[in-house]
Amino acid sequence: MTGPGWRVAAVLVALAQPGNVSARFVDVTATSRITFVHQSGASPEKRLPETMGSGVAWIDYDNDGFPDLYFVNGAPGSSNALYHNNHDGTFTDVTARAGVAANGLGPTVFKTGVAVGDFDNDGFLDLFVTTLGPNVLYRNNHDGTFTDVTAKAGVAGGAAEWSTSAGFFDYDGDGYLDLFLANYVDYRLSENPYCGLKKDGYRTYCHPTMFDGVADRLFHNNGDGTFTDVSKKAGIANPAGKGLGVTFCDFDGDGRTDIFVANDTVRNFLYRNNGDGTFTDVAYRAGVGFDPNGKPRAGMGVDCADVDGDGRPDLFVTNFSEELNALFLNRGDGIFEETSERAGLGSSYLPLGFGTKLFDMDNDGDLDMFVTNGHVIDNVKLFQPNLSYAQRDLLYENIGGGRFKDVSTESGPAFGVDRVGRGLAVADFDNDGNLDVVISNAGRPAVLLRNQGVRAGNWISIRAKGRKSNAFGLGATVTIETSEGRQVREINNVASYLSSNDVRLHVGVGAAKIIQRLEIRWPSGTRQVLTGIAVNQILVVEEP
Amino acid sequence: MMGVLVLIGALLAQAPVEERLAAIRADLFSRTDRVAEDVRELKQILATDPRSADAHELLGIAYRTLGTPELIGESVAEFRQALELDPDRVAVRFFLSRVYLDLGRPERAKEELETALTKSPGNPQLLTLLGETERQLKNPRRAVQVIDGALQADESNAQARYYRALALFDLGQRDEAIKELERVVGAHPEALDPYLALGTAYLDANRSADAVKTLSDAARIDPARREPHIQLARAYRMKGLLDKAEAQLALAAPRERATTQAAYDVQGEQVELEFELESGLVKLQRGQLTAAATAFKKVLEMDPANERATRGLAEVRRRQTRNGK
Repeated sequence: MTGPGWRVAAVLVALAQPGNVSARFVDVTATSRITFVHQSGASPEKRLPETMGSGVAWIDYDNDGFPDLYFVNGAPGSSNALYHNNHDGTFTDVTARAGVAANGLGPTVFKTGVAVGDFDNDGFLDLFVTTLGPNVLYRNNHDGTFTDVTAKAGVAGGAAEWSTSAGFFDYDGDGYLDLFLANYVDYRLSENPYCGLKKDGYRTYCHPTMFDGVADRLFHNNGDGTFTDVSKKAGIANPAGKGLGVTFCDFDGDGRTDIFVANDTVRNFLYRNNGDGTFTDVAYRAGVGFDPNGKPRAGMGVDCADVDGDGRPDLFVTNFSEELNALFLNRGDGIFEETSERAGLGSSYLPLGFGTKLFDMDNDGDLDMFVTNGHVIDNVKLFQPNLSYAQRDLLYENIGGGRFKDVSTESGPAFGVDRVGRGLAVADFDNDGNLDVVISNAGRPAVLLRNQGVRAGNWISIRAKGRKSNAFGLGATVTIETSEGRQVREINNVASYLSSNDVRLHVGVGAAKIIQRLEIRWPSGTRQVLTGIAVNQILVVEEP
Repeated sequence: MMGVLVLIGALLAQAPVEERLAAIRADLFSRTDRVAEDVRELKQILATDPRSADAHELLGIAYRTLGTPELIGESVAEFRQALELDPDRVAVRFFLSRVYLDLGRPERAKEELETALTKSPGNPQLLTLLGETERQLKNPRRAVQVIDGALQADESNAQARYYRALALFDLGQRDEAIKELERVVGAHPEALDPYLALGTAYLDANRSADAVKTLSDAARIDPARREPHIQLARAYRMKGLLDKAEAQLALAAPRERATTQAAYDVQGEQVELEFELESGLVKLQRGQLTAAATAFKKVLEMDPANERATRGLAEVRRRQTRNGK
């Protein structure tokens, strides 16, 4: 084919090529044989936990190198589900054998979130399930089963507390993972007040201001299978908090892990680790508590990571409908600057964001952004016809300089589906070098979105094995240098909403064929440098 | 002028924290035009000292003064942080109780007030608010008793008398309640609620001339509030002045844009119900039966047991049947 016609055809073909989109996610739920359906417990009484959804976690519980999936269910009596990854794109429900259904917690216990970490440093990941009620810690028995060790560990929390997001981290550098627990509001099923209008069909879920906040909890790991509640002593027991999201990062680069809590309708908390077992809430100084007009927002999901390539972890928080999701860039002087609008996040204004993750979806060496959405008021259309309960997910590509482009509509039909998105977690479940996404929808089937990897960027996945540090190296800072540049990341699986991500650190390196230098600053303080590392591999790094 | 304010702000920022807090406290209790600046300064203080109970307390007061729905929760949060740092702060418990009452949570208000009274027994302000709390908890007799305790300390306490009047209404003692409200209104407060309550009570007592005067005062104090206009429409309708009634209803017409906040606006729903009911009654009196029926149906959507709307709709149907014949 020659002449002008050929040239036009070539241009059209080029436009249609995957090269013009950064990523394409395909719903592979059916072929993966994941059949989990979240039971919200929705009722005419409009009990608040019904609409808050539950979390989901990636956990390679059998250390076979492929992340397995754990779904938290909602309604009292419903079963959580553990799916074993069969390495061929399919999963098998192994809940019953594993003993992690958590369906016998009582008739009033709604289940909410999940945290993953190896609290006893035996090299196997354990599970922590949060609830409106006593929480549950499952120790991994190394044989595909788990044992409920909550009582011995002492991490149940308050009998009637509504715990939401949780995470393991080593705040005192003793090599054992401690446990942070975000608590939401003082809500009791027995006192469920009537909220909304009297008009038939207009009853709705209560606004969080109808309830007091509840102090978060910090459990110190004693290293013998037990924990001590150090919340007050550590200075994180602020009763005003209405915590929904939590993440950990070393915001000030002092080698100690700090805590960020996203609160619903009250200001967020940023706890700086003082290094002596205590924390100071520096949210006012840091400028991450409020919106640019000084008003608190409804914080839901959260993540921290360096999105602008300056080596400092930034913060991202999903918020309520008619509030922009918040991107706080870390200026490095203890102060963050909110850049949401100029960062290109305007399309997040109407949707109500929940689960989220910053990750390199196209392996081009920077962090992109996935947000799952869904309103909390199931009959919101009655009050605001331009809103709906189910909403579409949002995908943003990092276009450099701390700015993003909404690429949702060009990233596959999965982004044309309305969901009641809540929990969200990220992992490369098929180890093909592209990070995939699982979403837990309130009262609906879960969704597994496989990243097709339309761009052939190179990558490396790091599985850290701590010796002095905790067994999975959570909290380690990794610096990667390639011909494409330098990236600083932290090994941190605690992000999103009620959910837990893969413990492996996945870093896209673009066209680089080799990683010239890889430095790990372990939580123990040990520094380790590797050089000349091949890309496109899962690299196991043991702490020296 | 702006330069002077900037200079004052800069000087205050350099002053010791105690002096800055004292200045803000004076501001918050004496004027409302500097609240936004006070909030900014309090946040600066908390940025350097996150454990300042004074700053948390004042920030809670500032947020409540601003009063927007987004800030009410933060007001509670600040008060609770102040109490976490210093549980003996009686004033914080008082302000926190007021916010709880604003939020329709009298149980929590009662807890805070009772705790405060153990530290400051007989405090008339606490007793006044506790009385209103008891009334909201459907204990009007107890409310009157508690408020009488507050009035023993200061019988000119207008707030106590207003709350006492509300409790007397709840007890069915309308005449005595009117006398209380007349004492309150006699002091010419720039607060709409006593006028509205008194004007409505006059209407219930068929004192329409007194009602029109009092409700007009209410409408003058806050022309944007819909309730005085609705009650004025009712007063004019009762006097057969239907044009004037409709003019008042036009002033009371809904004008809010749809927001998620509307899902929780129970008070707004009640006002809307009163508006539709009054519209229906005016239309009925004018013989505009279809329009009246529409209005009554809207009332019944909001409150299926509403007797006046049910009676109104029955009357519409009776007349329609008669006209049909």
